[in-house]
Amino acid sequence: MNAISNKMLLSGNHAVSWAVKLVQPDVAPVYPITPQTPILEKITEFEGRGEISTELVTPESEHSAMAACISASLTGARVFTATSSQGLLLMHELLHYASGARAPIVMFNVNRTPASPWGFWPDQLDSLSQRDTGWVQLYSESPQESLDSVIQAYRIAETVSLPTMISHDAFYVSHSLEVVDVPGEKMVRDFLPDYEPENMLDVASGKSFGAPIDQKTWNRSRREMAASFAEVEAQVNAAGADWGKLTGRSYGALEEYRSQDADVVIVTMGSMCGTARVAVDALRDQGLSVGLLKVRQFRPFPTESVCKALGHAKSVVVLDRNYSPGMGGILHQELKAALYGAAQGPKVHGLLAGVGGMNVPPEKIMSLVGQYKDAEPSVESQWVE
Amino acid sequence: MNSIEKQPSPLWTNATSEARLTGTWRSAMPHYQNLPSPCRGACPVGGRIAEWVRHIELGDYKAAWTTLVDNNPFPAIAGRICHHPCETACNRNALDETVGICSLERFVGDLALKEGWAYPKPKQERKETIAVVGGGPAGLSACYQLRRLGYQVSLYESQEQLGGLLRYGIPAYRLEKKILDGEIQRILDMGVDLHLNAEVGSAQALKELHAKHDAVYLATGASRSKNLPGLDYAQSWVMDSAEFLADTNAGKACDLGRDLVVIGGGSAAMDVARTARRLGRNVTVLALEPDDLLPAHEVEVIEAKEEAITFVTGAMMQSAETNGDGIVLKCIKVDFKPGEKRGQFTIDPIAGSEFELSAHGIIPSIGQDADLKRWQDLLDAAGPVVSTDGDWQTSTPGIFAGGDVASMDRFVTQAIGMGKEAAWGIARQVDAATAPARPEAEPLIPYEVINTSYHAKHRRLQAANRDVEARLQTFDEVQLPLALEEAVAEAKRCFSCGTCIYCDNCYLYCPDMAITKLERGYEVKNDYCKGCGLCVAECPTGSIHMEKEQKA
Amino acid sequence: MLDTITYEDQGQFFSGHVACAGCVEAVSLRVILNTVGEDAVAVVPPSCTAVICGGYPFSAVKIPVYHTTLESGAASATGVKRALVKKGKPDTTVLVLAGDGGTYDIGLQALSSAAERNEDILYICFDNEGYMNTGGQKSSSTPVNAVTGSTPAGKNTRKKNMLEILAAHRIPYVATASPSDLNDMAAKVKKAQGIKGTKVIIILIPCLPGWGVADNSAVAVARMAVDSGVFPLFEIEGGRKYTLTHKERTLPVKDYLGTQKRYRNLTEAQIKSIEADVDDDWLRLNEKARG
Repeated sequence: MNAISNKMLLSGNHAVSWAVKLVQPDVAPVYPITPQTPILEKITEFEGRGEISTELVTPESEHSAMAACISASLTGARVFTATSSQGLLLMHELLHYASGARAPIVMFNVNRTPASPWGFWPDQLDSLSQRDTGWVQLYSESPQESLDSVIQAYRIAETVSLPTMISHDAFYVSHSLEVVDVPGEKMVRDFLPDYEPENMLDVASGKSFGAPIDQKTWNRSRREMAASFAEVEAQVNAAGADWGKLTGRSYGALEEYRSQDADVVIVTMGSMCGTARVAVDALRDQGLSVGLLKVRQFRPFPTESVCKALGHAKSVVVLDRNYSPGMGGILHQELKAALYGAAQGPKVHGLLAGVGGMNVPPEKIMSLVGQYKDAEPSVESQWVE
Repeated sequence: MNSIEKQPSPLWTNATSEARLTGTWRSAMPHYQNLPSPCRGACPVGGRIAEWVRHIELGDYKAAWTTLVDNNPFPAIAGRICHHPCETACNRNALDETVGICSLERFVGDLALKEGWAYPKPKQERKETIAVVGGGPAGLSACYQLRRLGYQVSLYESQEQLGGLLRYGIPAYRLEKKILDGEIQRILDMGVDLHLNAEVGSAQALKELHAKHDAVYLATGASRSKNLPGLDYAQSWVMDSAEFLADTNAGKACDLGRDLVVIGGGSAAMDVARTARRLGRNVTVLALEPDDLLPAHEVEVIEAKEEAITFVTGAMMQSAETNGDGIVLKCIKVDFKPGEKRGQFTIDPIAGSEFELSAHGIIPSIGQDADLKRWQDLLDAAGPVVSTDGDWQTSTPGIFAGGDVASMDRFVTQAIGMGKEAAWGIARQVDAATAPARPEAEPLIPYEVINTSYHAKHRRLQAANRDVEARLQTFDEVQLPLALEEAVAEAKRCFSCGTCIYCDNCYLYCPDMAITKLERGYEVKNDYCKGCGLCVAECPTGSIHMEKEQKA
Repeated sequence: MLDTITYEDQGQFFSGHVACAGCVEAVSLRVILNTVGEDAVAVVPPSCTAVICGGYPFSAVKIPVYHTTLESGAASATGVKRALVKKGKPDTTVLVLAGDGGTYDIGLQALSSAAERNEDILYICFDNEGYMNTGGQKSSSTPVNAVTGSTPAGKNTRKKNMLEILAAHRIPYVATASPSDLNDMAAKVKKAQGIKGTKVIIILIPCLPGWGVADNSAVAVARMAVDSGVFPLFEIEGGRKYTLTHKERTLPVKDYLGTQKRYRNLTEAQIKSIEADVDDDWLRLNEKARG
């Protein structure tokens, strides 16, 4: 460990702001929305004090913010933005545009219930419903992880030329305080190479982007995107491992917590992982063979690694803090698809736990594990009382 | 790291649209053309008017003169007395008013005399000699054109001085003698074998002349005044108009009394009437033709009226007799019907419309005939003129004729034009290979193809006249010249019909960059022109038109 | 003749593009690109311009072009500009080449925001008074009574006054221009280019199929729009200073309307009403120019 670091008491959102301060992106178009606003406000505070030289832009909507991100990125700038829920959904059209343009934008999303009805509660439907837009998606369970992931995201995104979003839950992570290890500027600078894209909007080269292309070329562009997506997991793992060498905190696409030999594995994303860890420890103390598989990288879905991690398990309990109308829990659905065809797959139970921000304390998780570990799974996701 | 094969990104462009040949879209293509302007079509000398007016606009007056004198050696003269059919034909009439071409010609002519511009020597002197008989406008024009082509010219003039009617017919207040002398001398300076007081008055003399030269041009004019029947020309109170004008132009005093009646409605009658006014006489013009059919120029009639000349039109004199110390003319109104050809008409006296005019003198001015009798053994006649073909050649090969002796077109500039045409006809006969070709008739540029939005908006700047009081005191020129700024501003009003002015509109308006700019001119790119026709629509001179393409 | 057209073609726009034969948007694009020069980047939302600039792998335009979404012209331009500033190229001109749909309607929000922030962009709107690229539907720029693909009986509301909306933002420069006066267009583009901040120029583009006029007539129709006062040529500086650059009305409004199929079914009453509106707007504009 050779980093100079600074321990600060930070909320999840402010941890993100500190990550941005360290990265010093060239352009940051931002639009406020609860509960993302502290991220934005802290960044503007840094900018106001002259501590960052980022070109801060405050457009009239998230749609315009993302539009500015894409074009700035294609002009060779490193960009950052943050949003939540309605804002993310308003950007939807442009999320497709960004990935199609292969713009390595890094965006932070605070998971919040999408209207209607109105609510400000932790729920991952906002980002999960964007899973087809071609963005790499990482889910963070803590302020520290959010800070660390934002920085790593630039390296990942720029290597594979894909936009990347990191999400953390409203209030559980965004507004809760913990001691965060804020790395030093030099270490971050050294960790991130200069952004030098091969193609960009540049008077000298005169190349243009974005006019209509024919079917064959469109097809080819998607195959190329697919090939890049195939590289993502390795890059996520490599960046996470390198980060570990520098800070002592390693990351990857997945995290196996006491699950390598477990009969029952809880699978979940985001802040639920923190609660699940407590439940796992308690259940282990009770003698149950149980573990947690944290899914950090949701897109691309790490199918192979997930199958490997769950191959031995007898049953899997998926905790979805989201509900896709007409289908059920999204992690449940993706997991089943990943496991399908495995010679000896576990029984998979999908539980809709915490939809709309409902609190799911460790005791609840322990009770659910008890209830479902030996049960016959149903195809449908189950609403949890 | 990245295992994707390194190919150029399919999302970024790598070439220009020039690979797409949009010329396949079109069904018509623009073609540049230089068709004559209507002024040129109407001009008796075929002048390239749009071209020389353009030079004035650009401030290159010498170039204007050089272009102009290709067809007319007398711009200062014509600019004063031409009947300017160009102005009637001018496309600008459809917008507001004609361009003042005549006064622009005068501007160029006067400047040339002031600057002493001379005609260049011919590129090559030829050995052939041409005889020109008659030093009036037709004859002098022929001399000039023949000298330009390098032919040796011998000019025979019966009078003491050259000029013909220009000197002996047209009064000084319309054409200053100094101007006339200047423009004639310029031709003589090209090297002309001049014989003054040398009449060639018979067929025999003509034949002998012909024998000594490669060709002869006969331009002896029409100097036999027509006589009014029923008028006793022996009376002291009757004077033929030609005599009257010749005397006055020579400075001789006039013996006629105070009140004069001038009979006739043509230009000569106006010259007589206005000359008489300057001699202090009261003048009434009596003409057969009604007001709207008077053969004189409209402007001459207007100026005559300004000078307090009374007009009695649509009437004829039946008899004249003395009455005390004066004369009474018994007159009657007539119904005048013009005939098919120029000079032909019928008149029906209107019963019960008799009236009388009193005067002290009568000057009949009813036109002149050519004296054809002297040539009749040698040259065929066609009515009142010598018979000629399309090249102005008479019935005797090698003898050509033009001007009033060969045509009933009696305007000065028509004579100048005839002289040029005959000179070219002679050259074609002597050496066709080096002679100018006979010009072919081409369609004229109509108003509809001119985009008038590119042209100056101001109304015509008219040359002013001296005020009436002043002008009756002298024989000084009535018409004042245009100042330089006025001439340039007036020239700007010209549409340059059919004459490309290299404004670049076609080149710059093309949405497809399908017109290339050459050093002087333009070319359409076959590969890219879509045939939209914007270039044609925005051309200010009508120098491009669309032609349908034949698809293979 | 009057003044000749003086802008010079610097080869910034290439032949082989797919604009309709006789399209004056292409003519205007040619003027703009050659006046702005080579140190520029263009942002183009979906529009006829997008189609003209060209499809992969070709570009009809020498400078780099970024095709964005229909709402995002001004927002995307902001992104490009800020990136260029950060890269030490603050003087590279960032152009938006948008249609009226992307300016008056779906793009208005982003434009208003960019104007409020006085982003340093040169925004050109090619106003053909409708969604012509998608076949001729109405936009809020379509004038009253005009027949379009979505208003077969004629639009029953007025054309939005975009110039006044922009003036209210008090940006440094707003102007109108016409393909019938290329010198004026080039001068305005050049002037705008030299100003820092948000500059917007709206150019009237008679659309051949959209308005129902002949292939070779678009310049003439634009000229009539200007000469009749229907489309006045003027500048607004700082949202307050109005200057007319074409001061006379020399043609009846009726004559302008009569050139276009989209006005074929106008009643006398409608014509009178249109004339009254044009007269009133002209009066107000002149008052502002005097004051």
